[in-house]
Amino acid sequence: MKTFTLKAIVALLLLASLPCERALAADGRLLLPDFSALEDKASEVVDVNLNTALLGLAARFLDDKSPDEVAVKQLVAGLTGIYVKSFAFDGDFAYPKADIEVVRKQLSVPGWQKLVEVRSRKEQTHVDVYLSLDGDKVNGLAILASEPRQFTIVNIVGSVDLRKLHQLEGRFGVPDLRLEGKPPTVK
Amino acid sequence: MNTPLDDELRKALRPVDPDEGFAERVMRRIDSTPAPLQRRPRWFPALPVALAASALLGTILIYAWHAEREQQRQGLEARRQLIEALHITGEKLDLAYRGVNGETRPPAPDDTGA
Repeated sequence: MKTFTLKAIVALLLLASLPCERALAADGRLLLPDFSALEDKASEVVDVNLNTALLGLAARFLDDKSPDEVAVKQLVAGLTGIYVKSFAFDGDFAYPKADIEVVRKQLSVPGWQKLVEVRSRKEQTHVDVYLSLDGDKVNGLAILASEPRQFTIVNIVGSVDLRKLHQLEGRFGVPDLRLEGKPPTVK
Repeated sequence: MNTPLDDELRKALRPVDPDEGFAERVMRRIDSTPAPLQRRPRWFPALPVALAASALLGTILIYAWHAEREQQRQGLEARRQLIEALHITGEKLDLAYRGVNGETRPPAPDDTGA
């Protein structure tokens, strides 16, 4: 009887947690941990928090005469948020990997699909690129990159048009990823 | 040598005492004459209103200018963050791309290769 009750409670908890996980994946937004403790240790910190309103404001200040900035404007038009946390350190692996794992765990729920996974033992880098899918529509992009002296989390929320991202090739340092083809995977 | 004209003038301008009751009549006349009304200039009562309106308009203009400047500052900062976010996104996608293609990291500018 006691075992049955425990099983029922566990089952109920699992059921209750499902909608939350689905909700996290559904809007393409990640819940980023509080990295404020790392700011003192890091030699360089980049913290970008652009919600819909700020993205709209930023788009107003992009130059319509510059083709690069017009391309950015078009890319940003379908987005509801861009969040970047990047920390650089003077020493190797001065950051807690557990914080990255917390984020990585959020990306293991249904809705997120791993597009690229790169692990380089030589360079000690680990880069994962995920897409949040709502049906066949992309509504989020996440990049987790850990290097010996740097770790970065990028979360782009909203209708990410991969073709527009592709058009940014060579601009703002965005490379040609051949995103229109089959996603490559290297382990 | 006096001319007839001189005589005429002297006669006309000779001092003459006022007749009886002249002073009383003058005083009575002064008392009965109404004092002229002291009119304020028309614009004067409107001056405080005009000053208040000017101050209000000035405050509104300064506020609007400040708000516009603040929005511009926020907009430029958001733009800077957007470009920086795209830079970092590009950098990390490039890292993934090089990993996928088996390319190694390009040497840093200060890397002598030693």
